[in-house]
Amino acid sequence: MKPADTVGETLRRHGVSRRGFVKFCTATVTAMALPPWLGAAMAAQLSGAPRPSVVYLSFQECTGCFESFIRSFSPTIESLIFDVISLDYDDTLMAAAGDAAESALSTAMKAHFGDYVLIVDGSIPTGASGACCTAGGRSAEATLREAAKGARVILAVGTCSSFGGIPFADPNPTNAWPVSAIVGDKPIINVSGCPPIPEVITGTLLQFVTTGRIPDLDEHLRPKAFFGNSIHDRCYRRPFFDAGKFAKTFDDEGARNGWCLYELGCKGPTTYNACATLKWNGGTSFPIESGHGCLGCSEPEFWDKGSFYEAQSTAKWGRAGESSRKPLAEFAGAAIAAGAVLGVASAGAGRLRQHKLEKE
Amino acid sequence: MRLSDIAIRIEDSVALATAPERLGGLGGGVAAILTEVAAALEGLAANGETALIDLRSLPMSPADREELLAVLGQGEVTATLDAQGVSTLRETAVAGLWWTLHRDQTGNVTAELLEVAWVPQILAAHPQDVALAAAELRRRIGARDPAAQAVAGST
Repeated sequence: MKPADTVGETLRRHGVSRRGFVKFCTATVTAMALPPWLGAAMAAQLSGAPRPSVVYLSFQECTGCFESFIRSFSPTIESLIFDVISLDYDDTLMAAAGDAAESALSTAMKAHFGDYVLIVDGSIPTGASGACCTAGGRSAEATLREAAKGARVILAVGTCSSFGGIPFADPNPTNAWPVSAIVGDKPIINVSGCPPIPEVITGTLLQFVTTGRIPDLDEHLRPKAFFGNSIHDRCYRRPFFDAGKFAKTFDDEGARNGWCLYELGCKGPTTYNACATLKWNGGTSFPIESGHGCLGCSEPEFWDKGSFYEAQSTAKWGRAGESSRKPLAEFAGAAIAAGAVLGVASAGAGRLRQHKLEKE
Repeated sequence: MRLSDIAIRIEDSVALATAPERLGGLGGGVAAILTEVAAALEGLAANGETALIDLRSLPMSPADREELLAVLGQGEVTATLDAQGVSTLRETAVAGLWWTLHRDQTGNVTAELLEVAWVPQILAAHPQDVALAAAELRRRIGARDPAAQAVAGST
């Protein structure tokens, strides 16, 4: 099962012409917001790159991220799986179940130890000794820790695995944490979004395969190629914001004329993602184009920040200056000091304390 | 209640054309693209430098897009590339400016580019492919030529 061949060899075997491959790469680099002339260079580089083994683990999640992943238009999931990567384990897609599936996971991890790409979606619940999310009799946390050991890089796909997401939201009944709070010794790329844009997931993966390097990341470990600009900066309604033309309700004249949705709670100014340029459903549209403000779903703790329909100028969004990384920092510090299990407990308690203080 | 009683108005792109910063009759985004294209065309004419502009990365309203299409017009050449889906490479009425639309095998648009070039780069055959094709053609000639087969068989 070792994918010894290169991407170029696999493509040729599948009858993909050079022009077809250049076209594929051009579409991919434009999806990555890179200069389109890099398409030809990417084709040359990727042609000789080995197909990496990929292990995909799903934990406490709704499968929305995976649904998004398999709906990528550019590259398509078929071309990605058959031509660019070797998807060796994914319990949603694979035909195997039970012991055969567990065996496939351990075989893939052994065969490609140190080299495989680990994709994780969903948060990791640590409450009730991990009983909130188990597979094959093992907790999500135990599976993640073991799988992370042999991973070359971890892609945390979706806001749940990147920042905890909805399971992490107050009161966090399962004591859920993001991947970065559990694994501290591996490179992590957060591909946040609820769900992430399909092409952002596949593009990030492809970027790593092409270059073999971790892409430039922002302060939340997200690839700058996709998360470098705010929705607001790239929004086609931005001229209305600059001109002071705002929709006041969802059915007024301003809304009908396509004016800015800032006063209706749009979180575009503080949300970093590629929705305004890549859009959704193969570039068809994105929430603002459909008349609804951005929810800020790719930002840490978006679920706990306040009403989606309050304008940001009311200062009710984002807990008035609180650092969203603080609970994670507490967690990491505690985990290093007291060991993993104790760390989970103390960090969870710390977070609860913080929430209590806020309420007071 | 009848459908007509519901206060819904069907929108089209015309409403979005009322962007506040019209510059000389053009949307700000369209004017910026055209300025960039003009500079790229000057570069091509002066020293053969090609350029690519990714249209999907630009924040354009549907009206901006229609406006851009109308301003650039249709030129004399349209090429179709059938590789991993059908692509259309259309020269605009502006010589040297190509509007390229790449689609995948299911017809979805995967990239939309403005390319400033004598001919779009992807249309040119690659030297390695040409060399391989020449070798393959030689092999086929040999396979059909009994004399060549006899020579090959005796060696």
